[in-house]
Amino acid sequence: MSRTAIEPAPDAPGFQLEDVSFAYGDQVVLQGINLSIRAGEFLCLLGQSGSGKTTLQRLLAGLEMPSRGRVSWAGAPVTGPGIERGMVFQDYSLYPWMTLAENIGLALERSDPSLSKAARRDRASEYLNAVGLVGTARKYPFELSGGMQQRAAIARTLALSSSALLMDEPFGALDPVNRARLQDLLTAIWREATPRRTVVFVTHDVEEALFLGDRVVVLGSAPGRVIGEVAVPFPRPRRRQELFASQAFHQLSETISDHYHSDVLEHMDDAWTLWGSREGI
Amino acid sequence: MMEDVLSSLTGVAAAEPEPRTAARAWTFRLPGWEGALFILALLGLWQGVTTWVRLPNPALFPSVGVTLKALASSLPELLKGTWSSFLILVPGYFSAVVLGILWGLLVGTTGWLHRAFFPFARAASPVPPTVYIPYAIALLPTFRLSAIFVVFVGAFWPIFLNTAAGAASMPTRHRDNARLLGMSHGSYLRRVVFRAALPHIFSGMGVGLALSFILLTVAELFGANAGLGRFVQYYADFADYPRMAAGILYTGLVTLLSMGLLERFKRRALFWVR
Repeated sequence: MSRTAIEPAPDAPGFQLEDVSFAYGDQVVLQGINLSIRAGEFLCLLGQSGSGKTTLQRLLAGLEMPSRGRVSWAGAPVTGPGIERGMVFQDYSLYPWMTLAENIGLALERSDPSLSKAARRDRASEYLNAVGLVGTARKYPFELSGGMQQRAAIARTLALSSSALLMDEPFGALDPVNRARLQDLLTAIWREATPRRTVVFVTHDVEEALFLGDRVVVLGSAPGRVIGEVAVPFPRPRRRQELFASQAFHQLSETISDHYHSDVLEHMDDAWTLWGSREGI
Repeated sequence: MMEDVLSSLTGVAAAEPEPRTAARAWTFRLPGWEGALFILALLGLWQGVTTWVRLPNPALFPSVGVTLKALASSLPELLKGTWSSFLILVPGYFSAVVLGILWGLLVGTTGWLHRAFFPFARAASPVPPTVYIPYAIALLPTFRLSAIFVVFVGAFWPIFLNTAAGAASMPTRHRDNARLLGMSHGSYLRRVVFRAALPHIFSGMGVGLALSFILLTVAELFGANAGLGRFVQYYADFADYPRMAAGILYTGLVTLLSMGLLERFKRRALFWVR
């Protein structure tokens, strides 16, 4: 297998953010973000809460519009959500009153409107099988564990045939075992497709970002801005055990953590001084 | 091709924790033994008071036995009255359900409509619908139509207000997902907002139904020639208190059964709410 064949061209237009700022009223959430994400790249956005990483993700999805600057996808400005950019949230991605087949059917209605109702049901089952959920088409989300629900949410974005997957801490609410399984599933899905999908994965977990991403972009907070960027040097396929035991992984994760935590600590100090001065009054 | 890569993961999913199964088995709940005991105690008290207490006006307080006998003998008349009452209740209540839900969904999801209509709704909804009865009777051609109108007004507000509140308080995630899936507005209202607001809608429908019964019986006091409220009023006028008490008891029973039916329907429709 020639790996170069499925590697995206380095200049393939994916997401482009030029001097993007976002504010709610006078609260600045993101300031002066310049970032380009290649098509087919697996990018992890690493940041603590308050770094605006979710807002950045919503800008890419077209769920929010920047207060300043430009967001574009595939060379065209993002003016709203589109099915070529699918999104998975940490929770509530599926409608609880619909079966999994119906939930995925909603995506198929858009991506393939010519399908008959029966064909849609069959296709929904295929997508569910693809994420390891066999025989669950007629189940409701509340009948499934959290990990299974996230699998179904991933199946739905696959059914949309999105070429970009935007994932907002999708595994944040899962136990470590399920989390690892879903990381493997996501990696497999990403490596599988030709051309590869663009994945933007938001997390606050340094090790998760290093295990999954081609590149890790670190966001600082108040206001959210890019404070660092690391090209992840580890070859794929990555094996969790080997990787986590390696010296290189450790060092890189340490470096990022230091960088990341110094920003966190700085803001914790700010919070303390605020408290201190308030107590003085 | 994707299946090949992922088939190894297929077995893994099956090993995930046992999922919760849907508790969709439901039955009509009879009152528990505490509830039954309370009702029995109440009947005992009633019987005791009418038997042993020297009441100033015993004719006003028929005993349990006398009342039940009156109930049995007026059952045909009461059934006819029920039918007549339902000819008012059903059209009034169900038109309120349909319009209250439709309008509530629109107002709850449309900013400018909400800003335009809500101040009016806030002023108009607390007005007791009984004040419209004289007007309704004067303006509308038949008594039945005016009674239907009054029931409609009474049931409309709680259903509308609850639906709008439910639509407005829906998790934003549901809206985000609809936008990401490119749903049309009609489809979004029908398949997302309506379902998400359903718990609120049902509580509005419950309040609306209870109010409907109250308004129905009040409206019937004004000019009906049959019906449950009319029955009570009629025998009270003749000082036939056993029949009057029987009428009150029977009306209570019909209300209870209707509310029970709604509750049953609600549980089935809201299977996904834990």
